[in-house]
Amino acid sequence: MTRRPIWQTVLLYAVVLFWCFIVLFPFYWLGTTSFKRQLDAIRLPKYVPYYDFEPTTEHWDYLINVQGDVTWRHFRNSLIAASGGTGFAVLVGAMAGYGLSRFRYRWPVLNWNNDNIAFWVISQRFLPPALFVVPFLIAYTNLDLIDTHIGLIVAYTMFNIPFAVWIMRDFFNGLPADLEDSARVDGATRWTAFTRIVLPLSAPGLVSVAIFSFVFSWNEYLYALMLTNFEAITMPIFIAGQNTQRGVEWWYISALAITAVLPVVLIGLLLQRFITRGLVAGALKG
Amino acid sequence: MQRSTRETKPQAAAVQGEDITREDRVMKRVFLSPAVIVLLALSIFPLFWSLGISFTDILRGGSTLQREAQSSGVEASGFLGQDFNVTLRNYDRIFDDERLHIAARNTLFFVFVGVTVQYVFGLLLALVLNQEFIGRGIVRVIFLMPMMTMPVVVGYLGRMMFDSYRSPIADLYRHFVAWWEGVPLIGSELDATLPWLTNGSWARGTIVLMDSWQWIPFVTLILLAGMQAIPDDIYEAARVDGASSLQMFWRITLPLLAPLSLTVVLIRGLEIFKIIDVIVVTTGGGPGSATESLTMYIYKTALTFGNYSYAAAISFALLVLVIIFAMVFLGLGRRLVPRGLY
Repeated sequence: MTRRPIWQTVLLYAVVLFWCFIVLFPFYWLGTTSFKRQLDAIRLPKYVPYYDFEPTTEHWDYLINVQGDVTWRHFRNSLIAASGGTGFAVLVGAMAGYGLSRFRYRWPVLNWNNDNIAFWVISQRFLPPALFVVPFLIAYTNLDLIDTHIGLIVAYTMFNIPFAVWIMRDFFNGLPADLEDSARVDGATRWTAFTRIVLPLSAPGLVSVAIFSFVFSWNEYLYALMLTNFEAITMPIFIAGQNTQRGVEWWYISALAITAVLPVVLIGLLLQRFITRGLVAGALKG
Repeated sequence: MQRSTRETKPQAAAVQGEDITREDRVMKRVFLSPAVIVLLALSIFPLFWSLGISFTDILRGGSTLQREAQSSGVEASGFLGQDFNVTLRNYDRIFDDERLHIAARNTLFFVFVGVTVQYVFGLLLALVLNQEFIGRGIVRVIFLMPMMTMPVVVGYLGRMMFDSYRSPIADLYRHFVAWWEGVPLIGSELDATLPWLTNGSWARGTIVLMDSWQWIPFVTLILLAGMQAIPDDIYEAARVDGASSLQMFWRITLPLLAPLSLTVVLIRGLEIFKIIDVIVVTTGGGPGSATESLTMYIYKTALTFGNYSYAAAISFALLVLVIIFAMVFLGLGRRLVPRGLY
């Protein structure tokens, strides 16, 4: 590395700090708003607690103690739907990814090989979900799946599978087959080799797929909006619904938004390297 | 680590060709089938079903025929209780539906402007972050935060930031105007507000800004990974030949990033075609229908107006737009990207 001139260093840090500020300031605002009294939140902006305004915990108290049941119900719905969708997608995705990586397929009629199949699978990820609004509504109404956890889990499994297959296939391609081969020489079946040797070795890939699926499902809006109406409503729908009821209560929405965003952002911060790896694998191979 | 893209090479030599064992012949189906079955049942089948529905007059609670039958006391019959007429009226209506055309225009605006903004700024940031500096790890983590945030919350954040009166941005603008005009902030009759979300054209731009706030870091991280994969000796050779940094950017970095750039732009474009949540919480599609996206209009047609068959028809109009977009980009990729660069 050649030494760079001082003005470049200054510019570099200026740009980095500026962008970090742009990213972080809205979160700071969300945090402070949840501690503002109503009047402080709806008048001219107040920036610094204790200096500009006197913080209060009444909104958090309302969210946790008064509205606790309601908050928890929606939080739990999100948790169930997202975990269910993630679990199935990881399982099915790992299996298909392994198949596409280790066997050679040739589909009759279409004459598709592994690459065609993989491309078909990932292309499903990019279909606009609006296409499925009508058939899902009719099918779910007739099957009595509207407003159930199972209904949401099925939908989330469907839209997480393509990405899971794609990432896992790439991961298995980078995993030498020697270990499974020697296990199979020793008499293990394909399935035992897969569950006992391949899956434990691919934990990083599985974690990265699980994080992505979970975050996608947790933040998902359109399916949840059309497939739930009361009992199974998830956090995004619940939060978006605050828009119309009783005017916009920014302090309450802020507290609620933090509750909804914090778990995923924490996962993101803790497992950062898996995410970057998954992102890069997803795009580099695209 | 082996990184093959174009050709998948099954690594176990034994499973290639004819010497595949009987167990494997069964197992290879067992491994792939669940995913294929789920996709066929929940993606391909609904797609064709939806296409079928788009050629009928089915509404919520049955078709026109069925409603007439019910009012004259006859039992409903037919597929899932839906007795229907086959008609082309939905596709006819696509051509005169003013609101649909506005929604399509808005969606294309979001896609093209959004993709441009996100790519340009994502690339600039990646160039900056590709330097060595203190705190790189933390910056990376900070970059992930907007991506993990629920779009609904991004919408609310946007509303708090871009409120015309009470937001920090409005405050900043007010101070700026007061300073510019040289008048005191309090006491003078200063009218300094910007219609961030209340004027149609402004609101479209503001929505693009919110989406960009969330996704520029994604573009940056991907391009950054691409830049770090470019071997240093290429730059070294260019430097020996006396190339300036600007030349190196245009002649080395940008061409070598071309495949990745196209992928990122394609991914972002396809994702923006689906935009609905940010808009619902910020403008609700308004003022009027100035910020309504196609997905939002389809949703409203199906759930609010209950017109299932028309919603299905316009969702196929959306699909056509999406396919054209993807084809153009994949075609561009084939032309612009020299062979062997993948």
